[in-house]
Amino acid sequence: MIDKQIKGYEDSYIIEGKMALPYSYFAGRVGSKFITTIRDKKKIMGVKCPACGMVYLPPRQVCDKDLTDIRDNWVEVGSSGTVTNFTVVRYDDKHLPRKAPFVLALIKLEGADTPFLHIVEECKIEDVKIGMKVEAVFAEKTTSTILDIDHFRPAVETLSVHERSKLRKQWVPSDEPETQEKRRGGKPDMSKPVIITAALTGAATMKNQNPSVPYTPAEFAEEAHKCWKAGAAMVHVHARMDNGFATHEIDRIRATHDAIKQKSPELIVNLSSAVGMGKTAEQRISQIVEIKPEMASLNTNTMNFSIIDRKTGKIFIDYVFENTFTMLQDFGKAMEENGVKPEIECYDMGGLDNTMLISKQGFFTDPMNFNFVWGVAGGQAFRAETFIAMMNALPPKANFTTCGVGTDEFPCIMQSCLLGGHMRVGLEDNIRMPNGELAKGSYELVEVAVGVAECLGRPIATCDEARAIMGLRKK
Amino acid sequence: MSKRIAVCAVAQVKNEPEYAHMRFQNMLLECFEPIMEQTGVTFDMERGIRNIITCSDDVFDARTISDNGVTDVVGAHFRGEEKMAQESINGLGYAMACILSGHDDVILFMGHCKESQGESRRMATNLACDPFYCRPVGMDFQNVDALQAREYMEKSGVTEEHLAKIVVRSRKNAKKNPYARENRQVDEKEVMNSPMYADPLRELHVYPVTDWAYGILLCCEERVKEFTKKPVWLTGYGSCMDRYFIGDRDLCSNFSLKQAAQRAYARAGIKDPRKDVQLFELSDHAAYQLPMWAEGVGIADEGKGGKWIDDGGMEKFNVNLSGGHLNGNPLLLGGAARAIECYYQLSGQAGDRQVKGVKRAVAQAATGGAGQHQAVIVMEA
Repeated sequence: MIDKQIKGYEDSYIIEGKMALPYSYFAGRVGSKFITTIRDKKKIMGVKCPACGMVYLPPRQVCDKDLTDIRDNWVEVGSSGTVTNFTVVRYDDKHLPRKAPFVLALIKLEGADTPFLHIVEECKIEDVKIGMKVEAVFAEKTTSTILDIDHFRPAVETLSVHERSKLRKQWVPSDEPETQEKRRGGKPDMSKPVIITAALTGAATMKNQNPSVPYTPAEFAEEAHKCWKAGAAMVHVHARMDNGFATHEIDRIRATHDAIKQKSPELIVNLSSAVGMGKTAEQRISQIVEIKPEMASLNTNTMNFSIIDRKTGKIFIDYVFENTFTMLQDFGKAMEENGVKPEIECYDMGGLDNTMLISKQGFFTDPMNFNFVWGVAGGQAFRAETFIAMMNALPPKANFTTCGVGTDEFPCIMQSCLLGGHMRVGLEDNIRMPNGELAKGSYELVEVAVGVAECLGRPIATCDEARAIMGLRKK
Repeated sequence: MSKRIAVCAVAQVKNEPEYAHMRFQNMLLECFEPIMEQTGVTFDMERGIRNIITCSDDVFDARTISDNGVTDVVGAHFRGEEKMAQESINGLGYAMACILSGHDDVILFMGHCKESQGESRRMATNLACDPFYCRPVGMDFQNVDALQAREYMEKSGVTEEHLAKIVVRSRKNAKKNPYARENRQVDEKEVMNSPMYADPLRELHVYPVTDWAYGILLCCEERVKEFTKKPVWLTGYGSCMDRYFIGDRDLCSNFSLKQAAQRAYARAGIKDPRKDVQLFELSDHAAYQLPMWAEGVGIADEGKGGKWIDDGGMEKFNVNLSGGHLNGNPLLLGGAARAIECYYQLSGQAGDRQVKGVKRAVAQAATGGAGQHQAVIVMEA
C-alpha cells in the first residue's frame, strides 16, 4: 500500500511496516515467586543478602556487592513506602500503561533498600512529592506481571504513638491527686495518659504456643523494642533459658534486662519476683536485689496457680503459688530499700486486703501501684463489678493497672482504661488477637491496647510520663 | 601507556530530522566513497580492509541483525564484518582491539541510524527494559533520564536557567558546524517556556529525532603514512557498566563515567584532565547531562555543575563546540559524532569552530537510560 509520497520522488514509495512478534518469557524461579506472591497473596517480597544486609527489590539470585547467593533468602517488605524520586510523563505513547499525564515514581518500600519504578495515582499530580508515603493498590484482574500491583496511591499518614506524643502537651502530676471519691463517680481524669505494659513471656507460655515468645536476651530485646515502638512504656519480664525454661539465674536475668535496656534505653523494665514454678523465696528476691530494675512484681497471697482445661475442668498441672505474709513483707521491704517500685499483684480482693494490712508497717512509698489479675486458675475470673469493687478499695493516690488470662485480657483492659487505670497485655497472659488469630508478637496486643485508649480519647503514656505517674526514679 | 592507533579519515552526511528520500544504505554510501577517495584504501585482503565494523540498532532499523542491511555498501561481502550494537564509541574501542592485537592493520568503521523511521524512539528504548519489572510500567530512556535530571539538578545546583543556557548555546554552536542538524535558534525564555515533557525535562531540553550516518578509517601506527598525512591518534579508551536497576544505582554519582574516564586517562597518561586536555565532546542526550558528564570526566567539581556553568566552564574547557548530542544525533551514534568532532579539531579541519592549539581531546558517550554504561576515548593530534 502506498501511503505517502515525497515531492520529486513520485516514482518511489514509502512502505508502512510494523515490528510485532508475540513472545513468551520464562520468568525464572525468583521472578516467578515475586510476581505470584503479589498476584495470589497481595504481598511484596524482596530478597535479603545475609552478608551485607541489603534487601533487594526486585529480587534477584545473587548480591552483586559481595556475590552471595541470596535467591532463597526471601523477606516480606511492606506494601507501602516512600517516593524517593518521580517524573510526570506528559507524552502519550503506545508502550505507556496510562494516558498522559501520569506519574512514574521510584518507590522505596518499607524494609527494602532499593526503590523501584511504578505508577502513582489517585492524587493530584501537583501533590506528588519526594518523601511522600504511598501504598500499593493490587490489581483486581491479575496479569502475572508487575502490574499486579496496579499502582500506588498516597498512604493515609498515620503518626506513630511516639510522633503523636511529641505533638501533645506532656503530662505532669498535678497537686490535686485523683481520689477514690472521684473514681467512684465513674468520672476519672481521661486526659491522664494510660500506661501500657507488655508482658513478654511469663513463665509458662512457650514457643510452640506462639513462636514470638522470646527466650534469648536478643529475642527479648527485639520483642521489647517492637512493643516500645507500638506504644508500650513498660515491659514485664520473666527471663528464660535457651530451651525456654524460666530461670532465676542472676546472670541470665541481668543479660536479658540489659539487652532490653540497650536496645530501648527509655523503656521501663519490670522484672518478675515470681520467676517460675518451684523457686525458693531466696531465688525469687535475690535477683531483684542484685539487678535493681525500676519495677518488680510483688505477689500478695498464697493461692492455687494451676493449669486447668477451661472446657472440661480437667487438671493438667496443680500448683500452689506460695506468697506468705512474711514474703509479702520481706519482698516489699527489699524492693523499697533497693529503689525498686513494687507492682502489687492482686488476684482477688484478699490479696488487696493482705497488702493493706502489711502496708500499716509503713514501708510502701506512695503512690502504690496495683495490678488486678484476672483469669488465673486459682484466682478470680474477670467480672466488671468485682473490678469496680477492687478499684474502690484502693488506698488514696494508688494507681491500678490490669491484666487478664486468655480472652479476659481485652474486656479487663478496656474496663481499666475506661475507669482511669492502665493496661497490661502480652503473650504471658494471652497469645491471640481478639479475632482468635495468633498474635504476631506482644507488640500486636500493644496495638490493640493503643486502639482501646484511642477510642476513649486517652493519650498513651510515654516512658517518662509512666515514671511520673507511678513514682519511679529513672535509673 | 598503551600503543596508539590512527584515525586516517572520517566522512559523514549531515544530521537531518528526516532523510525521507534516502535509504540508510545510500546514506552510508555517501560516507563510504569519500573515505575511499581521501585515503586510497583498497579491499585487498593482504594490504587493504579485510575487516569492517558497523554500528546500528535492530529496533531502529526494524530488522534483527541490522548490519545485514548494509554489508554490501560498506564493502563487507567476502570479508570480516562485525556489528557494534552498543553505543558507537565502543566500536572505536573494538577497532583498537582488532588493530592492537595484530589481527588487522586497517579497520573501516561505519554506522547509521534513521531515528525518523520508527513511530517513537521512546518505544524503542522501552524495549531495552526488562519485560518483568520495568517495561510494563512504561520505563523508557527519557522518563528515566528525567528521574536522573531531578536528582542531579538538586545535587549540583543546576537550575532551569542553566538548562536554558545549555540549549541556547548548543544550537548556536551547531550553526558553525556544517554537519549539524539545522535547528531553529531559540532564546532562553523560549526554552524555559517550552512544554514540560517528563518533569523536570522540557521538550527543548531533550535532543531532537535525527537521522545520520558516518564512516571512519582507522589503521595501525606503522602504516599510517599510506593513508593520510595528518593522522589523529586514539591513545586511551575505557568503559564501565553500572548496575541495571535504576533503584540500585546512585543516579547522580557518575560512578560508571568516573571509572571509564579514569581507565582511559590512565592509558593515555593523563594526570589532570583540566590541564592535559584542551577539548571535550560530551554526549548530552538531555541538557542536564552536559554539566553532569563534565563532573564525571573531571572538569567540573563534584556537585558543583551549576556553579561550573556560571563560571564559564563550558567555554573554558571547550565543551561541545559542535553543538553536542543535544543539537541532534541519533541515539547510539552520539559517541561516533563526538569522536569525529574531536578528529576535525585535532586535525585542524573544524572551520569556524576551530580551537587553536588543540593537542588532546576527549570524547564521551553513554548507553542506556540515565547513563548506565559509559565510555570515554582520548584522541591526540
